[in-house]
Amino acid sequence: MGITRKFFSCWQNWIGLFIILVFVLTALFAPLLSPQNADTQDVVQSYSRVPQPPSPEAPLGTLPDQSSVFDALIWGTRNAITFGVGVTAIVFLIGTLIGTIAAFFGGRVNTVMMWIVDGFLAFPIIAGVVLFQQINNNLLVNLLESTEYAGFYSYVVKNPAILNSIKPLFSPFMNMNPTALAFVLLMWMPYARIMNASVLRIKQMEFVSAAKVSGAKKSRVIFRHLIPNAIAPVLVLAAKDVGALVVLQTTFSYIGLGHPTPWASTLLLGKDWIFSPKGIVTYWWVFLPVTLALILFGVGWNLLGDGLINAMNPRTENKQPSSLNFLRKNS
Amino acid sequence: MTIFRRLSFSILRSVLTLILITALLYATVMLTPPETLASLYMPERTSPRMTEEMYEALLQNMIEKYHLNDPFPVQYVAWAGNLLRGNWGYSPNLQENVFTGLMRRAPATLELTFYAILLYFPLGLLSGVMAGTKKSGFADRFFRAIAFIATSLTPMILAILILVVFYITMRWFAPGRLGTAFAPMIEADGYKAYTGFLTIDGLLNKNPALSLDALRHIAMPALTLAFAQWGILGRITRTAVIEENQKEYIIAGRARGLSEQTLAWRYALGNAAGPVLTHTILSAASLMTSVFIVEIIFNYPGLSTVGVKSLAFIPDAPSAVGFSIYSTVLVLILTTLLDFLKVIFDPRLREES
Repeated sequence: MGITRKFFSCWQNWIGLFIILVFVLTALFAPLLSPQNADTQDVVQSYSRVPQPPSPEAPLGTLPDQSSVFDALIWGTRNAITFGVGVTAIVFLIGTLIGTIAAFFGGRVNTVMMWIVDGFLAFPIIAGVVLFQQINNNLLVNLLESTEYAGFYSYVVKNPAILNSIKPLFSPFMNMNPTALAFVLLMWMPYARIMNASVLRIKQMEFVSAAKVSGAKKSRVIFRHLIPNAIAPVLVLAAKDVGALVVLQTTFSYIGLGHPTPWASTLLLGKDWIFSPKGIVTYWWVFLPVTLALILFGVGWNLLGDGLINAMNPRTENKQPSSLNFLRKNS
Repeated sequence: MTIFRRLSFSILRSVLTLILITALLYATVMLTPPETLASLYMPERTSPRMTEEMYEALLQNMIEKYHLNDPFPVQYVAWAGNLLRGNWGYSPNLQENVFTGLMRRAPATLELTFYAILLYFPLGLLSGVMAGTKKSGFADRFFRAIAFIATSLTPMILAILILVVFYITMRWFAPGRLGTAFAPMIEADGYKAYTGFLTIDGLLNKNPALSLDALRHIAMPALTLAFAQWGILGRITRTAVIEENQKEYIIAGRARGLSEQTLAWRYALGNAAGPVLTHTILSAASLMTSVFIVEIIFNYPGLSTVGVKSLAFIPDAPSAVGFSIYSTVLVLILTTLLDFLKVIFDPRLREES
């Protein structure tokens, strides 16, 4: 049975694909679903400090600050898809390349490069986010933007003319997301390790030697023979990582690290209203939609990853013909 | 002997890793302009009569004094020397030396990690083996469903739910590390901090009520942490056990009439321990990350406070860097320990070299 057929023969995979499809479509058509821009969320004109129940203006109710939960949900989906897919793609590329190159050259090069990978593995990602946000604050925001609390630092700036001339240079970095930066720099190691092990195994096979003997260039051997044949386990990891990274980003945002994301802000604003004297379900809209979206986002990509593992693993199918089969319990 | 050689090798490797990481960290810190760094060393309150020129001069003085404009290797070596001597820099947000601040909070984090590991490691192995030996049986299906929930229900969502149900509604548990009635007890004269773990110290000081109160504060964070980790570890163990069960030696053992219990617990698990430990080593850093996340959400006063406080009103580079280094060292220690454990478990690795 081919991989595709094996993949689609399992009902869990259909659910996973369906969930992902819904999220992707929501992200694509966010401006149609919710014409409100993410920046101008104040839709319901009301001076109430209490979350309002669902109404035509806000289909999923409002938060205490009278912003619409529905808008946050839709725009948060767009944020999640761009962040998850974007960061995973970059991380995937870096990790795969490093792992392949180390394995291709082998020997000492491989040992040293894997040491470096192990070194990076010891760095907890939360420390990375703290550090990069710190650098973002110190290097860019405090120096270049004279915000209120930067008054202390504004003595530092000697010449406003110089400052203004270098400002455009730094402006792309000022909007850079420290979470994304930390993830890109600290999340590629599993890819490198798995790719490394995979390539080291495939390197021994005849077709690679055949390609080398027939005079193929190194780059051709790497990109045409090694990577396509070794990529399967890394693809599985990438599928799972899209969900995991978004969940982690939302968590960091919730505890105050990195830029605020719509989902995390909704949870943060609504968390005091989850429990109310009238009972836990009175203000269900402040937490239920976003919580469900977050869980489903993780579940969808997880199901896709699990489905890919089962479809690509040749061992799930093979029944070895043996007279001892009655002793094998699991076959 | 080979164990010691292997251990010393892995310690050497950890030290090299540490040097590499701190060098990179220091280079990242150097991205910050020296003037901004120098302003951290400035006195807290400057005289209102101080003119801008005077401030400027003082700033340049500080840059000169702390060698903030030197080339990277010079600065790095000097900084590493200071670090080894215990001078991690003064943090305005913690209002103390970074190292003292870290050491004061470390036992709380270690206690939480210890209890979480104590919970999830045996349980993960147990359920993994039980599910793996009867693949597709009832126990396996049940385990897979729960483990899927455990890995999908992120610690954040779980923590919010727990906070709402058990903390706010039921009032069974409380945030922080100790209740207000017990907090003065650990400052009192007769109290001795033997281990730094409040739950154990309470018993050692013959004050079981203190232990119980500490337990009441630590139970839910530890449980939240353990739940997700249990799911991951259990799934890995299950896969490894299934893989082992298909090997010939299990069949041979079964043909000779060994009991299923012996086969599962002694042989399959014994050989599955390798991949399981390897995975645990690789995920040590992510365990640390979850510990910090859980600490912050449950308002548990551990190491994570240093990381959070470094992002306060006036950003504070020394504590951010100190936090990063300290957590990396913790992970490296954990990794080395697990590496050692792996060698003890696996005779093949002992004989190898």
